[in-house]
Amino acid sequence: MFASVTSAALVGVEPCPVRVEVDVSGRTRAFTIVGLPDAAVREARERVRSAIASTGHHFPSRVVTVNLAPADLPKVGSAYDLPIALGVLAASGEVPRAVTDVVAIGELALDGTVRPARGGLAAGIVARRSKSPCLVSAGGFTEAAMSGGDVRGVRSLAHAVAVALGEDAAAAPPAEVEVADPVPDLAAVRGQTLARRAVEVAAAGGHHLMLMGPPGAGKTMLARALPGVLPDLTQSEGLEVAQAYAAAGRPPPTGPRPPFRSPHHSATMAAILGGGSGVPVPGELTLADRGVLFLDELAEFPVHLLDALRQPIEEGRVHIARKGASVSFPCRIQLVAATNPCPCGYRGDERTPCRCSPASIDRYRSRLSGPLLDRFDVRVPVPRVAVDELLGPPGEGSAAVRARVTVAREAQRERGAPNSVLTREHLDRLTWTPDSERLLRTAMDRLGLTGRGWDRVRRVARTIADLAGSAVVTGDHVAEAMALRGSA
Amino acid sequence: MTAAQTRGERLALAFLGLHPDRKRKLLDRFGTPGDLMAAVRRGRVEGIGSEAAIPAEQCREAIGACGCRVMMLGDPDYPGALAGIEDPPDVLFVVGSVPLEVGVGVVGTRRSTRYGTRIATAYGEAIARAGWPLVSGLARGVDAAAHLGTVAGNGIGVAVLGSGPDITYPREHRPLRDRLVEMGGAAITEYPPGTPPHGWRFPPRNRIISGLSAAVVVVEAAVTGGALVTAARGLEQGRVVFAVPGDIDREASAGCNRLIRDGAVPVFEAADLMEALSLVMGPPRSPPEPVPTPDGESPESDLVLSEGTTVEALGRRLGVAGSALVALIGRLEAHGAIRRDGEWLLPGH
Repeated sequence: MFASVTSAALVGVEPCPVRVEVDVSGRTRAFTIVGLPDAAVREARERVRSAIASTGHHFPSRVVTVNLAPADLPKVGSAYDLPIALGVLAASGEVPRAVTDVVAIGELALDGTVRPARGGLAAGIVARRSKSPCLVSAGGFTEAAMSGGDVRGVRSLAHAVAVALGEDAAAAPPAEVEVADPVPDLAAVRGQTLARRAVEVAAAGGHHLMLMGPPGAGKTMLARALPGVLPDLTQSEGLEVAQAYAAAGRPPPTGPRPPFRSPHHSATMAAILGGGSGVPVPGELTLADRGVLFLDELAEFPVHLLDALRQPIEEGRVHIARKGASVSFPCRIQLVAATNPCPCGYRGDERTPCRCSPASIDRYRSRLSGPLLDRFDVRVPVPRVAVDELLGPPGEGSAAVRARVTVAREAQRERGAPNSVLTREHLDRLTWTPDSERLLRTAMDRLGLTGRGWDRVRRVARTIADLAGSAVVTGDHVAEAMALRGSA
Repeated sequence: MTAAQTRGERLALAFLGLHPDRKRKLLDRFGTPGDLMAAVRRGRVEGIGSEAAIPAEQCREAIGACGCRVMMLGDPDYPGALAGIEDPPDVLFVVGSVPLEVGVGVVGTRRSTRYGTRIATAYGEAIARAGWPLVSGLARGVDAAAHLGTVAGNGIGVAVLGSGPDITYPREHRPLRDRLVEMGGAAITEYPPGTPPHGWRFPPRNRIISGLSAAVVVVEAAVTGGALVTAARGLEQGRVVFAVPGDIDREASAGCNRLIRDGAVPVFEAADLMEALSLVMGPPRSPPEPVPTPDGESPESDLVLSEGTTVEALGRRLGVAGSALVALIGRLEAHGAIRRDGEWLLPGH
């Protein structure tokens, strides 16, 4: 007797249907799983056997063969327990064959309880595409339901059979937990005229942002505020983000805010780019897809790691080749970096003397140069705020800034590309007022602006014009862009 | 012994590169420089090998090779104020030209805060514009900031070194030193060419800084450190000592605050210092030049900063905020009216 149940696996971050085929035949007792299972999948035999016994059904005393197709795709984890159990029950004639008309995913406890497993979202998407109901654990409901498919939460194997046959209602979805928005509001940042404006401009044009200042000046808070002024994710973007999180085996972020990831500088290459043994999992780059990757203490990151970031950030995808599996993950991120002005952090501070030797400052600075640094269009100092400014009125809130950013992004969408990727040819074709051109020329003469620096200023100036709703770039826009370009 | 021979012996003695205290003790024991050098040549002075005695001709060659010249106590161009102190250096190695008139010493810690460097530069510039020479030690921190003020104010600066005239310490201040010399100032030292900057050589040179000055201004100083040595030597030499007050709980100002408690004159902003200095130095030699206004393409470029400020402070002063303030800063910088250093806005050229 033969039965098959659909489940799902992830290829990179893409969900892929997996057919769980069960054949029950012969007279001897045997239970084999084939189709590149890992150890956890193979151990499904023991869990499935106990779980079936707990429902009161008989585990067949015959040769049970399970094939996970496509057979060449590596399967990992305990997520196939539920579809295997359903397949065994159907193939041995214990329950009606109709139980197999579902997409199922979930780990089984020995007493038959269904536990959440990785891949719930992928199963939901597979189910939506095949227009079948999707059975997941009650705990995994929220994640799978993001797919928009017909997701049903089940408590136990017996409950799963009943739900699949339409004999019982699905478990009630867990109550929505209201999570406080963890994104700090820009209103909390006082003073910091340059840095506040830099966050707004970076958000509006998708420019990578560099913040430089002493410890405690508020660099991290400014970086964390950035997702709050970015436009909210659309439904499909939110699903992409959830898929990346699912692939990394993490709960997806709640709410429509773009993700914010802040890996520590001691993180490994694999943790940031993605990888790991066996099937590659997404790294921080991919978890920050459609959002913000924040590198605090940029100079502390190993140079080879920063070099490795450059190409994926430009391409928006990171390619990972491992023995047996080669995948690519999306990483359309906005980079925010923070750095101290020197190793001790107090160079240029009003009150605390800097303890660094000039040689160590040079060494520190040299780590901050190179090709990746060129990608930061907006660079601003973040000084420690004077007390009278801390006591001053709060700044403009994130919501008002976000409204302007959204309009500016819309203008760029109409032109075809975000300003952060404009090339010199694009920039030359834009309309510049005579005043703006004069100012650019003056700056080139006086400040020794290089060709690349010139393009950076022009890209940012275009964004500032978009924020002002202006079709042409004026002198004021260029002047602001120059103030946000940092030094050198 | 002829006068020329005596000069040769004094030069050879200077080339031993001794600590001034040791030199004085040896002279007390042996008599004249000639007697002392004779003893050295015979190997009679413990700790100094006979090979250390270099013939006068070789000394002169070494001096010529490093492009400096020699000034001896009693020479007509030897600075009078320095000659009057208790233990003036017998021989000075000079690059550039030492001003005849007495100057103002500006000293402070090498570990300065932004507060200290800002004030030192402002003082340096004001002193330069008053036409008084500024004397300092070319060290990191306050010293260098004061010298930078001299350059900004187009004045005369004297850097007193703790090494030979051919060595600049710290090395990265070589361009600053060259600029001072180009502008009519000097780098001077009592140590012969080739002397490395040993730590023990610096305290003695502080008596030269105060010796060349009618007043010593301590901008920022910890309780230990060379700046307080300079102030102490200045007091012994009868110089007026000024000190810039700072937070009482800040290490970098503790020395200054203590000086004030012990009777140093507290000074505040540059104008206050100039008023106090004019009592010591007499009226400024050259009236402060009117600051040229840049050719105004926009009304903002008329703005001239007299000292460093922050973005927010400038905004408050001009009543501008937000993106208008950001644009203003970009324009001011493009027109050269301001320079930026990190979060600081500094006066343009």
